[in-house]
Parts: sequence; structure tokens; C-alpha cells
Amino acid sequence: MNIAQTALWGVTYYNPLKSSGGYTLFSPIGISYTSGKGEAWLIDMEGHIVNRWQFPYQCGLYGYLLPNGHIVYAAQSENVHQKYSLPFSFTGFGTEIIEQDWDGNVVRTVPIPRGSHDFMIMPNGNVMYICYGDEKGILPDELAAKWKGGIPAEGKEKLYGDNIYEVDEDGKIVWEWISYEHMDPEIDAMCPLEDRQQWHMNTLFRCRDGNILVSPRHLNEFFKMEYPSGKIIARYGRGKIFHQHDCKELDNGNFLVFDNGSHRHNYGAPYSRVVEIDPNTDEEVWEYKAEVPSDFYSSLMAGANRMPNGNTVICDSCSNSRIFEVTYEGELVWEYIVPLRVKQMEISVDNFNLIFRAPRYPSDYPGFKGKDLDPARFPWENQMYGPAAFKKSFVPRIF
Amino acid sequence: MSVAFNSIKGLTFYDITRAYVGVTMLIPVDGEEVWLIDMLGNTVHSWKTRHKPIYGNLLPNGNLLYMGQVDNGPLVDLEGAGGSLQEVDWDGNVVWEYNEPYLHHAFDRTEKGNTLVLRWLEVPKEIAARVKGGDAGTEREGVMWGDAIQEITPKGTIAWEWIGHEHLDPDVDIACPICPRCGWTHANAVTELPDGDILVSFMQTNVIAIIDKRTGDVKWRYGGPAGELAHQHSPTVLDNGNFLIFDNGLHPRGLAKGFSRILEVNPSSGKIVWGFGGNWPEPKELFYSPTMGSCQRLSNGNTFVCESTTGRLFEMSMKGDLVWEYVNNLPSYETSLARSKSCPVFCAFRYGMDYSGLKRPVTRYERRREPRPGTTEEEGGVKEAAVVSRLERLGY
Repeated sequence: MNIAQTALWGVTYYNPLKSSGGYTLFSPIGISYTSGKGEAWLIDMEGHIVNRWQFPYQCGLYGYLLPNGHIVYAAQSENVHQKYSLPFSFTGFGTEIIEQDWDGNVVRTVPIPRGSHDFMIMPNGNVMYICYGDEKGILPDELAAKWKGGIPAEGKEKLYGDNIYEVDEDGKIVWEWISYEHMDPEIDAMCPLEDRQQWHMNTLFRCRDGNILVSPRHLNEFFKMEYPSGKIIARYGRGKIFHQHDCKELDNGNFLVFDNGSHRHNYGAPYSRVVEIDPNTDEEVWEYKAEVPSDFYSSLMAGANRMPNGNTVICDSCSNSRIFEVTYEGELVWEYIVPLRVKQMEISVDNFNLIFRAPRYPSDYPGFKGKDLDPARFPWENQMYGPAAFKKSFVPRIF
Repeated sequence: MSVAFNSIKGLTFYDITRAYVGVTMLIPVDGEEVWLIDMLGNTVHSWKTRHKPIYGNLLPNGNLLYMGQVDNGPLVDLEGAGGSLQEVDWDGNVVWEYNEPYLHHAFDRTEKGNTLVLRWLEVPKEIAARVKGGDAGTEREGVMWGDAIQEITPKGTIAWEWIGHEHLDPDVDIACPICPRCGWTHANAVTELPDGDILVSFMQTNVIAIIDKRTGDVKWRYGGPAGELAHQHSPTVLDNGNFLIFDNGLHPRGLAKGFSRILEVNPSSGKIVWGFGGNWPEPKELFYSPTMGSCQRLSNGNTFVCESTTGRLFEMSMKGDLVWEYVNNLPSYETSLARSKSCPVFCAFRYGMDYSGLKRPVTRYERRREPRPGTTEEEGGVKEAAVVSRLERLGY
């Protein structure tokens, strides 16, 4: 057990003068002990719970808000490993998209079988998602043999290319992208320390030009895919970023990406960064890393978003689910440890607070217009998990 | 900076009835001192050393033997560079030293009174070309550095020597694919076994190995390219013949093992018989030191661990229950690592109150340290007095 690094929960640091303010949404991956349901909580800067959504299945990935104040959430409605006998290294499944309004009424549900890691609502209401372990995506043997990198399979394991599907409101596939048909076995080489099983795509982001950013973790790059033709039109970050997550386009046209740094080629302690990349030159124009780089490291998951005042809100998933905000200069202005502990059903882990991403919304976000953001609506939650629930000082435990 | 992770310092947890009472020696990164602290985290002794210490042992005769990093050493940019081995008495007077610019990492004082040391040695070009792993062109100025083990007599002569590239096999000892090729094996620990053979940890090939003292053959390997270990440190032999290993989990195969573990391995079966950590994502086992690290089995069966990069030392029972935890807050010096609020520690070892090396009575509060500003460390006088009297009742 680790007391020193798990004793402080809730908001541990807040500088209101430099923070961009707003509301943070998080969904621990699992079900709540008290409600038995998947949860999504919205907190203000002081850590008050201002809204809470509940879902019939455990959180598979994360949830995010739509500009109308609805939440869309990826729930894990089935045990994918059992149902499709997939290797356990295939992780992060959210198999049903649930949309609820501000008050928690279900608007619609869309099944996304074997959906994994990321999903998004298209402008026409369709859902685009990443699908792991679909037989359609298995590489033909001769192509798989040509693919560079990775640890060769010991038995007859197949190399799965992760596919991307777009489904309409009824769950019917209206567009599909079989990854290996568009990728290059020479250029898109795999990390030498990953098993040759999959690319592990983890992010979908729709740019303003309608094209899609896709982030295959094991290839240490992300690319822009032309939609709907499926052609890969540009690759970014190769040689600079390692096992990245959450690539996105900023208002200034640059890309922001969470560089996890796992399996970075060097001696020494691994560290994560958040990097802003100029898409025209593939050059880094901004980065955040900790003063001592190894103080900030999330080997898996994680993400970042840029706020209107230039601050960056970072989800450091593997460090006891730490969400923090830094200024453009890299100064810490807010820090929060997710206090909500849940039960993870599939791997039977207790006392779990892991989150995949933590989107922050500015106070003037359209989805909040006319909505009740009074923490008094959630007295029990705030008593248990709000700012008053956590001590700010620590006394050694000697007995 | 992380407030949640880096602000709680000093003693955080102490189960008086189950912890192994003694004195803890610790060597902060970039410090110029080796410290002894008591169970409450108070410093009871320190040695100001001539060189930056990177590894040390309190010998049974009460002297401190430490590896010092020489500032202008030829390979000072490689991790674990040393250069000077010094034995100092309780008051800090140098009673023995051995200087060799290519010394690195750790050492072991043998039964006979000699000292085993690790020394970097250039791998001949034709062998280096056959070594697998790493990115091409990442050699250090075109050179790949391998390891030699030497046994140094008290007079400073070399009594026995093992040259790595004469006994290792480039087809078996495959280096990590994402480490630079400036090293091949990057040894980081060496220990004499009871039968006289040598146990050594090769970090870059993810192997711990037994070297036959007579022939120099590598007669046993554990780990390897598809094995359990990922850049391990600090293997030691236990009384039951098993090995205790700090498996750092740096550059692991896949990512599920991106956290450190302590493993007890039975050398005859090659099986893990006891382990702690790595059960990610269970938060109660949050434990990760990608580099450095040390572990030690105590005589009451507990295990003492130095989670180096966070500066966290802890002791746990066989069941994995925490019984003692302390986060380093001792002053260290100029470099960027030390300026941060995480105060990393190279290694730490616990010596029981009956250890013969603790010849002088270890008095509490011989030197008090100042708590670092901005941390929540508390040293409540009343609580201390209560604990001290309880310890005395328990017979310590």
C-alpha cells in the first residue's frame, strides 16, 4: 500500500487567478458501490459535484457533453473477451453509446459491438467508433508477414487491424474503414516491444475540414484520414511521440496530443508530455512536461485539452487519476484526485478510480445555458466527496 | 509538480508491533552524504562523503563502504557511473579506497574480505557488431561498453576477473530493443553466493545470471528477451536459497506491466514463489520506480523496499501489508532531480538493532533535519515521546 501518494484526494491545489475555470467531467471505469451503476460526475473548480448521471452498465471508456447539455457515454454492456474470445491484451471496451439529457433521461442508445477506446457523434447524428477484434480486420498472412516491428507471435495468433465503423441511429453500419487496406507495412512499423496483435487505435477526432485524426498507439504516430475516402493523407509525430493518446485539432489549427512516453527509446525514467504540433511542418511548437520529467508519467490512457485562456487541462490517468491544469508557461494552477472509488467488473478490481479522459468545459459552454449547476442538488454526494470531505493536511499514522 | 504526489514527506506510517525495528541507511540522489535514520524518520548519523555516493553498505565492522561518483569520470554521462570505492569509519575517516575510473553501480564485500566490483569495458568491434537490440547508430562515440567483474584484494590488486564479452553470447544475451547501443549488458548489481559463485544483474538484457567462479561460464540465467524481468535491480540471495529481485518494469514487454514488482524466484524451478506489486491497476499497489531501486528481506520475514524515483521507502509483511513508510526529505544538492519536490533515493537498507555494524549506540536526535518548506511533514513531540516509551516497553 502507498500512503504517501494516495492520502490526498479531491482538490489539492487551486489558483483561481490563473485557472481558466469551468466544469470537469469524469467517469471512473466501473460501477459505483452504492448505486451499482456506471457514473459520470461533473464538478466545479472547488470540487463540488454539480451534476451526476447514472447508467445501467459500467463505464467502459468515458463520457462527454454535447453543446445541448446532453451527455454521451460509452458503457460496457457485455463481456467482450468472453463473448468473442479475444486476447486480454485487447482492452478498453465500450459497447453501447448512451445519450442522456441534463436531467438523466435516456435520449437514445446505440449499440457498437466490440467498440473500443473512442467514439464520436457525427454532425448527422451517426456514431463513429473504433472496433477491436473484428475478423474482417485480420491481416492476410502475406501482408502480416511483411509488417515491420513488434514481437513475433509464438503460436498462430493473428494480427488484427483495428477497424473504424460508422453506424446510424439503428446501429446499421453505413461506412467502414478496414485499416490495413490503407496503411503501409513499411512506414507504419510497430513498436518493437509490443506483441504483433493489433495497432491499438485509441482516438478518433473530426477536424474542421471533415477529415479524421486516428491515433494507433503501437505505431507511435497519429494520422489524418480523409473522410469518407479513407485515404491516409498525413502522418504526424513519428520519432517524437510514444504510445500517444487523445490527439485533437485546436482552434489555432495545430494539433494537441498526449505523448505518454511509454517505450520511448532511451535509458532513464519514462515521462509523459503534452505536445502541440504544427501540422504543416510536423514540428513541436509547445510542450508541457514536469520540471522533473518522471514526476508526470501515465503509461496508459490519459489526455489533455486546451482551454480558451491558453491553459491546458491534463488527465494523468495512471497517477491515482490525477486531473490537473497548467498555464501556457507550465505552472500548476489546479489539481484534483478523483475521489470516487468504483468496482471494476471484468477484472474484479476493487477500490478503483481509474479514468480514461476528463474533459473540462468553460463556464460559458453552450451546454450549461439555463441549466441548474447548484451543488445543493447533490447533498449526499457533496458530503461524501465534495470539498469538505477531504483533509488538506496529513498526520503520520503511527499505531 | 504534483501536490498530491510530492507533498507528504517524512514518516507516514508505522505499525510498531509488526515493523522490523532498526536503523535505515539511505543515499539520496545527488546528495553528498549517506544518512542513517531511525524508525521515526529522525536522522541518527550521517557521513559526509568525498564523492557523490551512489551505493553503499554498512559493513559488519561498523565501517561504511560506498561507491562514489567521480565528477570528471570518463563515462559520467552513462547512468550509474562511479569511479571511486571508499571505506570510511564511523567518523568519516577513509580507511581503504580503490580508484578506477570505469567502476560503476554496485559492489559486494566477499566472505574473504575482498571486494567484487563492476567495471565498464569496451566490447571489441567484431563482437559488438553481432550484439542484437537497440537502434543502430546509438553507440557512444562508436563504442559499445560491456561489463567486467573484478575481485579486488585489500591491497588493491585484482585477484579474479571476468570479462563479459568472453563469456556472453550475442545470440542469447539480446539487449533491449529501445535502449541505446552505448551499452550491451549494463550490469547494476553483483553478489557473492554462499557457494562462491557470482550472482549478477544485467539490466540491459533483462537477465540475472549466475557466473561460475572457476570457469567464468554463465551457468544460469533468469529473464531474457521474453522473460519476466524488465530492467531489474538489486537481486539478493535469501537464506532459503531463493533470489529477491526488484523488477523495475522499465521498457516491459507490452504495457500491462508498466509498474514495478518485487519478486522472489526459486532458482532451481525458475518459478516466482512470492511477489508484490505490478497488479495494475489496483491503486493500493501503486508502486513504480522505473530506474534504480533496492529491496531486502528482513530477518522477521518482512520485505524492505526503496522506491527510488519517488524517494519512498517502505516495509511490508509477507502478505503485502504495509508496516512502515517514509518519504525522503533529506537535503540533496544542485541538480535538477534534487530541486524537485520528489527527493529520489539511490538505495536504502535496514539494519536491525542487533547488527554488529551498529557498534556505537545509536542515539536519537543526534542531528535534526529541517523539514522542507511547503510540505505537510509534522514532527509532533508528544507523539514521538509516546512512541519512544512504547518502543522501550517492547524491549528496543
